[in-house]
Amino acid sequence: MGSRNVKILVALVVLCVVGGGVYVAVAALAPNETSTDANPVAAADADVPVMVRAVDPADTRLNGRVFVVDDGTVTARSGKDLTCERVYYAAGNGLCLGVAASGVEYTATTFDSRLRPLHTFTLTGLPSRARVSSDGRYGAITVFVAGDAYRGSSAAFSTRTYIVDMATAKPIAQLEQFQVLKEGKPFEAVDFNFWGITFDPMDSNRFYATLGTGTHHYLVEGEVSTRELKVLRDGVECPSLSPDGRQIAFKSRIGTTDTWRLKVLDVATLKDHPVAEKRSIDDQVEWLNDDTLVYSNGTNVYTVPADGSGEAKLLIRDASSPVRIESGEKL
Amino acid sequence: MYQVEASKALLKPRLWLRRPEALRVSRNVFMLGLTSMLTDVSSEMVATILPIYLVFSLGASPLALGAIDGTYRGAAAVVQVAAGFVSDRWRRHKQVAETGYGFSALGKVALVAAGNSVGGIGAIVAFDRIGKGIRTAPRDALISLSSTRDNLATSFGVHRALDSVGAFLGPLVAFGILLAAPARFDAVFFVSTLFAFLGLAVLVLTVQGKPWRAPREGTPPSFRRAAGLLRESRFVVLLLAALVLSLTSVSDALIYVGLQRKIDFDPAVFPLLYVVTAVAFMALAIPIGRLADRVGRVPVLLGGFAMLFVDYAALLTNHVSYVGLIVCLVALGAFFACSEGVLTAVAGAALPDDLQASGIGILITVVSIGNLLSSLAFGALWVTIGLQQAVVVFAVGLAVALLIATPLLVRSQRSALNG
Repeated sequence: MGSRNVKILVALVVLCVVGGGVYVAVAALAPNETSTDANPVAAADADVPVMVRAVDPADTRLNGRVFVVDDGTVTARSGKDLTCERVYYAAGNGLCLGVAASGVEYTATTFDSRLRPLHTFTLTGLPSRARVSSDGRYGAITVFVAGDAYRGSSAAFSTRTYIVDMATAKPIAQLEQFQVLKEGKPFEAVDFNFWGITFDPMDSNRFYATLGTGTHHYLVEGEVSTRELKVLRDGVECPSLSPDGRQIAFKSRIGTTDTWRLKVLDVATLKDHPVAEKRSIDDQVEWLNDDTLVYSNGTNVYTVPADGSGEAKLLIRDASSPVRIESGEKL
Repeated sequence: MYQVEASKALLKPRLWLRRPEALRVSRNVFMLGLTSMLTDVSSEMVATILPIYLVFSLGASPLALGAIDGTYRGAAAVVQVAAGFVSDRWRRHKQVAETGYGFSALGKVALVAAGNSVGGIGAIVAFDRIGKGIRTAPRDALISLSSTRDNLATSFGVHRALDSVGAFLGPLVAFGILLAAPARFDAVFFVSTLFAFLGLAVLVLTVQGKPWRAPREGTPPSFRRAAGLLRESRFVVLLLAALVLSLTSVSDALIYVGLQRKIDFDPAVFPLLYVVTAVAFMALAIPIGRLADRVGRVPVLLGGFAMLFVDYAALLTNHVSYVGLIVCLVALGAFFACSEGVLTAVAGAALPDDLQASGIGILITVVSIGNLLSSLAFGALWVTIGLQQAVVVFAVGLAVALLIATPLLVRSQRSALNG
């Protein structure tokens, strides 16, 4: 290799270091507000307060502040220290899954009834679903893990689902380590993925979730104390129990595509029926009351009757991740 | 004149280690390692932030990324064999490798230009995969042709060590940029492009396209002669050995999945699994390469596969302590250090000089088919008979594979020395 080539290479290295350095420096010094000033707007009255995270459809910056909408107006909002991709709240305990301003660190934060952050811990993947049991004891978190796919599997993504002790803000269990039973027999496969926990409103030890393996998406029923899961039926993703515990709203995949219809099943019979929402919705649905679902398409929050009648109605504009706030809650 | 210069270059790059005789590899090998390192920094920077960029900036589903990645792996395998033969046929290993690295660099430019559509990103990932398929065989042939019989495994060790340093640094560089300039993905793409072009520049400007062992006389190999490799016993026995060994080794990703179910629960530990293995691989690649050149490549290669028994044993227990876990991960790192690079060195020693790239291309493809079948079989066994039983089957299989592979590998090397 000639000395001329060495000189060219050294010049290129210098050029790249300077060019890259200048670009990054300019980017670092540019004004960069990562939380948008979006304000959710109530389009209809929901009868109960609803917590949401703000979405600015024209601006895809990383995170949204938490708002409480009641009686058609915003009654509470978080500061810039609480911005979430996914939020849930019950019995004075809030759980916020967020992305750090840098965009490379994912965190879970617990917060109180005044929307002030309490504890934060690091998550191992992209925030996907959050839930808190109605007594405020347990939280549930699902994250997407990148770079964890393995050869020879059709499922090239993978999820992790944790159960969190809300008082200490510490993960205490991971569904991937639970024993799974199908028709009474141990059931396992290398491509198990769990997501979308919903806690029993009467007993926070009990919960439902989705187990994905191959092309199946099983509804499983589990207990935190025994670390056991039982397969109930196929074709149920992101289950959500109604306040009376009798029905489960879920998303039902259309064929093998990434499109879904919202459906509701009866817990006693496991039979389901579709609701009037005709668009594909990728959300873990929430219940406004025992007869009404509330959910987001990513930019707005809608309601639809659970019995399949009526039609989808806009509830809150520029918001996602809706949470029903119980009447006794002070926010 | 040229010969003297080349052999001087052979002993030149020793400055980066304290002991002057520590690395006996040619400058060509070191520069190829540098090329791979810079290219890997570039690729891993993008790979690290792509999921979050897709999901939070483009509003895509994380599922889209998996689909994008899976689609193009098959295409890369086919390209590999063709690129290997073409570089032997034209005697242009360097130019074919440049094309491969160039593909990746151009892909990064496209990312800066049109990175805000999911389809655009799919095309870029495809470019990257195909580029990798094109460059691997001619680059490994260049490493082999730039080495002597005495430092072949060391050369591959040095290259793989530098390569893995790049894979390690990439995410750190990306994180650093985003910490300084929050959510400025464009800055990450821009710097990634610079790294890709620097990698290409090192290859174009400093790598000698005709190392002194490179064949330059006689007629270039015909397709028939390349295909004839599959009838040449010393190469066929090597392919057979590689196939049985790859069929019975469980992929690292599956070992991680299994180990995660055996350790005390702590989500913070999971990402560290990969880090410990990567560091062990980085640290061991060069010493193991030197060991292979000193005591023999075949025993080291077989020893590397035997390392997998440590991990298999751990998967058969009910619980693995943190000390046990680290032993497993270091064993896995040692397995990587002893297997892929050393296997390529074994192939380099067994192949005629004018068919290095063709042979290495065939070998890589055979190994990747073996790995794919092994993963499918392990997954199927896990579902039907359970994890422990699946591991028992693979452990017995690996023991048998080692018994079969030992005489085959010895034969491939012995006849190479005679031939």
